[in-house]
Amino acid sequence: MKECYLGIDIGSISTKAVIINKSYQILSSCYIETKGNPIVAVKEALQLVSIPPEYQLRGIGTTGSARKLIGLLLNANVVKNEITAHAVGTLTYHPDVKTILEIGGQDSKVICIRNRMIHDYAMNTLCAAGTGSFLSSQAKRLGVDVKDFGNIALKSTNPTNIAARCTVFAESDLVHKAQIGYPKEDIIAGLCKSVVLNYLNNVCKGKRLESPIIFQGGVSKNVGVHKYFEEILKEKVLVDDNGHLMGALGVAILSSKVPNPRNYTLDFQNIEFKTIGEECKGCSNRCELVRIYRDRELLDTWGSKCGKY
Amino acid sequence: MDKVKIGIPRGIYYYYYGNFWKYFFKKCNMELVYSPSTTKEIVEMGSHLAPDEMCLSMKIYLGHIAYLQDKCDYILIPRIDRFDKENQTCTNFLALYDISKHYFKTPILNYNIDSQHDFLDGILNMKELKLSRVQCILAYEYAMKKEKEMKSRRENLQQQILNSSGKKVLIVSHAYNIHDDFIGSSIVKILKENHIQILYSDYFDEKKTNLLSKELSQDLYWKYSRDSIGSIPLCKEVDGIIFLSTFPCGLDSLVHELVIRKMEKPYLNLVIDDMSASTGLETRLESFVDLIEQN
Repeated sequence: MKECYLGIDIGSISTKAVIINKSYQILSSCYIETKGNPIVAVKEALQLVSIPPEYQLRGIGTTGSARKLIGLLLNANVVKNEITAHAVGTLTYHPDVKTILEIGGQDSKVICIRNRMIHDYAMNTLCAAGTGSFLSSQAKRLGVDVKDFGNIALKSTNPTNIAARCTVFAESDLVHKAQIGYPKEDIIAGLCKSVVLNYLNNVCKGKRLESPIIFQGGVSKNVGVHKYFEEILKEKVLVDDNGHLMGALGVAILSSKVPNPRNYTLDFQNIEFKTIGEECKGCSNRCELVRIYRDRELLDTWGSKCGKY
Repeated sequence: MDKVKIGIPRGIYYYYYGNFWKYFFKKCNMELVYSPSTTKEIVEMGSHLAPDEMCLSMKIYLGHIAYLQDKCDYILIPRIDRFDKENQTCTNFLALYDISKHYFKTPILNYNIDSQHDFLDGILNMKELKLSRVQCILAYEYAMKKEKEMKSRRENLQQQILNSSGKKVLIVSHAYNIHDDFIGSSIVKILKENHIQILYSDYFDEKKTNLLSKELSQDLYWKYSRDSIGSIPLCKEVDGIIFLSTFPCGLDSLVHELVIRKMEKPYLNLVIDDMSASTGLETRLESFVDLIEQN
């Protein structure tokens, strides 16, 4: 029996699952929307990926913003943050990369790599301006599928200027530009450009972006944003076809390195998971507790400051 | 006669003068009433009272005062403007006394430190306490001695950590942020769980750090900012630096950005708001820990 490993990246917008073998080749993968419910999304994703019959699952890793919850439910042997997962994944497939640009649904980050190690990184602060969720909400406003955004943007020769600092201002700017009659492709191109400018001004400020540069995350699928990155940075920016899977790949690779692995199955469909949030009345801290149940059995309680649970 | 009860809100100035006050008022035969460590309830009380543009730390401070009203005879809120030309405090802090006087009925015990009055002058001017000058000076000297002892204990501890092996992180922050239970404790907890030793910028000798801040910027005139960034040149051996501030702190938004541009070490810039979801914070800290552990 050959060994394989599952990596799941549960982000705010999309959930990615990938199964790799010992030499880090992708055996199966999927990319679906989280739709605000990570548990349902993961169940769906696990139906979409399949383990070839000659393989045995020997490790599960989770990353992304719901990594702890899903890690607990699937009994994962690696639960890692996105930065490390992305860096590990990227360095495995592109060992020479020096800069990783990553724009996801709610987070955007830049990772600087020197000597094949993370040298420095930065992440957006609390504000989600210029991330995937901003693009998809604007796509809805304009009545365009976010997947077509990039191709429409490429048609424009004259992108409009859109305020890039703050989502709220960007949105009123966008409405205004539409009302005075700018064509849709110019507005969409302007939006893509504003995402790039916002990212470079906010997240990358003070960082040296050395070439080779790779662009990842859900937004990297947007050819418009990719084009403006190359235009503004005046550098070749690489986009991997599996760029959206890098986090999942990274964590799958990490899970393959865990000593003393055990056997796993993908049999989670019939198990019911439930999480209940409540406010603890124990003291005036009033912690937000999250209780996690598997088939009515309490697995764990999170969120208490005092450590009572 | 009952002892006079003095209420000390556990916020802002408590983290600079708390120890001094403890010994000073004890020596003057007065009772101290403290507000508890910051809880969510206190944060909510404070946010409810605070004007929009106040930073989280000041909202918390107002919450502490709200907790103390009716529980003591006086609430101690000094009004500190500046120590000298180059050492001013945040302009918002200057208004704390007046804001509190407007909000709360409990009498407020106040002393001023400004261009005309130094710390001792301020202490001597607390007329409400009806202390004699001699009594006041004796208590002041006693409390100062205790304060010095505590500071040198802290400094020795920091030095021990600096000399030890293992991963070390310096947290550059105002004392009222990092030592607050609501703002800083979760950060300290995550770092300790990962076996990282922590150095606090406010545990160094402020006279030293105040001068050393000139290495990073010649022009700053905020005392607490200078004191905190001055710890950076002292900690050349640390593996990483965490800049912690609360939203929307005007001083830190300038000072931290300014210093970050001169950093050669890994750093992390954390801005804390009263958001209750902690995932964002955990992700940032965990990846920072990963970064310094592999280096």
